[in-house]
Amino acid sequence: MERQMINKKKRVFSFEPTKLPPSEVFTRKYISHLVPALKKLNMGKSSPQINQLTVKREVDKALALSAQEFAWSRFLLQKLSSSNNPTTTTSSSSIQTQILERSNDEDGEIEEKLKELQKLLPGGEEMNVEEILTEIGNYIKCLELQTSALKSIVQDAT
Amino acid sequence: MDLSVLERVNWLQQQQMVSPDFFEILGSDGREELKRVESYLGNNNDEMQGFRHYETIDGCISRTSSFQMEQVKNNEENRVIALQPKRKTEGKTEKIENKKKKIKTEDETESSMKGKSNMSNSETSSEIQKRDYIHVRARRGEATDRHSLAERARREKLSKKMKCLQDIVPGCNKVTGKAGMLDEIINYVQSLQQQVEFLSMKLSVLNPELEFHINELSTKQACFTDLPEAVSKQPMMVDASSFPLQQHGSLDYSLINSNQTTILSSKDQTSSSWEIHSQCLYNNLRTDSVSSFFSHK
Repeated sequence: MERQMINKKKRVFSFEPTKLPPSEVFTRKYISHLVPALKKLNMGKSSPQINQLTVKREVDKALALSAQEFAWSRFLLQKLSSSNNPTTTTSSSSIQTQILERSNDEDGEIEEKLKELQKLLPGGEEMNVEEILTEIGNYIKCLELQTSALKSIVQDAT
Repeated sequence: MDLSVLERVNWLQQQQMVSPDFFEILGSDGREELKRVESYLGNNNDEMQGFRHYETIDGCISRTSSFQMEQVKNNEENRVIALQPKRKTEGKTEKIENKKKKIKTEDETESSMKGKSNMSNSETSSEIQKRDYIHVRARRGEATDRHSLAERARREKLSKKMKCLQDIVPGCNKVTGKAGMLDEIINYVQSLQQQVEFLSMKLSVLNPELEFHINELSTKQACFTDLPEAVSKQPMMVDASSFPLQQHGSLDYSLINSNQTTILSSKDQTSSSWEIHSQCLYNNLRTDSVSSFFSHK
C-alpha cells in the first residue's frame, strides 16, 4: 500500500515535473544520501564510540551533498574530506578586514558577533559580511529541514 | 550641454545605464512629465536646468539600479561641487528632509513597477517637490562623493538582508538593532546545530536496531506528512512574503513561481506558506534526482 501511495505521488509528479517545493527536494536528497550511508555503517558494525563520530560525519555529509547550490556546503564538504585524511589541512587564515569597519563600542560588539557567526557557519572565515548574512539564511533553513528529517528517522526507529 | 531631458535619457540608455524598464515606467505620460518639468524650471540658465533634470533622473534611477549611476555621477562631480553652496542657501531643512523621504518612497514605488495610474500620481507629487528640492541623491549633511554613496548603498543592502533574516529566525521581531538580532541568530544557529548533534547521537545509538527497508518507505511518508507537524512545533516563518533579497539581483536565488500548489495535499496552510517562503532561497530544482530516486524503489 505504501508503494501504491508512492507510485501515485510519482504519477502526480510527472504532470508537473519541474515544480517541486525546494524543501521537498532538499529533504529527499538528504534522506537519499543519509539512509544508504547508515545502512553501510550498519553492515560494518564498528564500536559504538567510533560509530557516533561516523554517524555525525555522515549526517553532515548528507547535509552538504543535499545543498550543493550553496557556498557553505562546499566548505563543509572540504572540511569533511580533510577530516577523513589524517593530514590536517589548515584553513586559509584570511583576516576579515571588511568586518573591522568602525571603532565605536556598539559596532565593536557587532563585529564580535559577526565573528562568532563566522565561526558557526562552515566556510564563514572566507566570506565577507554580505555573503555571511545571505549564506546564514539558507544554512538555517537547511539545518531546520535536516532536523525534521532526522527526527522523523529517529521516530520511526523508536 | 543643452541637451533636453529626453535626449539625456536616451544618451543614458545608449550608455546602457538606464534599463529599458525605465522607459516602460515612464511611459508616454512620464516623458510629457519630464517635458513639463523642464519648461517649469526654465527661469534658470540652461546649464543648471539641464543638470537638475539630470539629477532627478539620477534620483529615479538610483532606486532601480544601485550601482549603475556610479559612472554617471562621476561625470557630474564638478557640478555637484558647484551646486553645493546653492543647496546650503536654500534653508528649508526639515521640509527638504521630509521631501527626501517622500521622494524615496515614490522612487521605491517606481521601482516596483506598478500601473500607469500610480506612476502619474507619484510623478505629479514629485513634480511639486521638484520645485523646491531638487537634489535627491544625498541626504542633507551627508557627503556626495562616490565613496559615501557606495557606503550608503552597501549599508542599505546589509539592512535589507538583516530584515530577511528577521523573518527566518523566530523571535527576532521583538529585538531591534543589529546586535540583538545577531545575538538571536547566533543562538538559533547554535541551538539547531546542537539539535542535529543530539539527533545524530540518538541515531547512532539506534543504528544497529534499525530495519532500513521499512524505515526508508516510512521516512518518505513521514517527510511528506511530518513536515506540517515539524512546522507547527517550531514557530517558524509563516508569512508568505517573498524573499526581498531577490530584488537587487545580488544573489543567485531565482524566484520560483509562488503560485504553485503543492501536490501533496496533506500540507496545511502554515506549511504551504512556509514552503513558499523557503522556495525563494533555492535555485535550479533538480527533479532528475527525485524521479531517479523513485525509480530505484
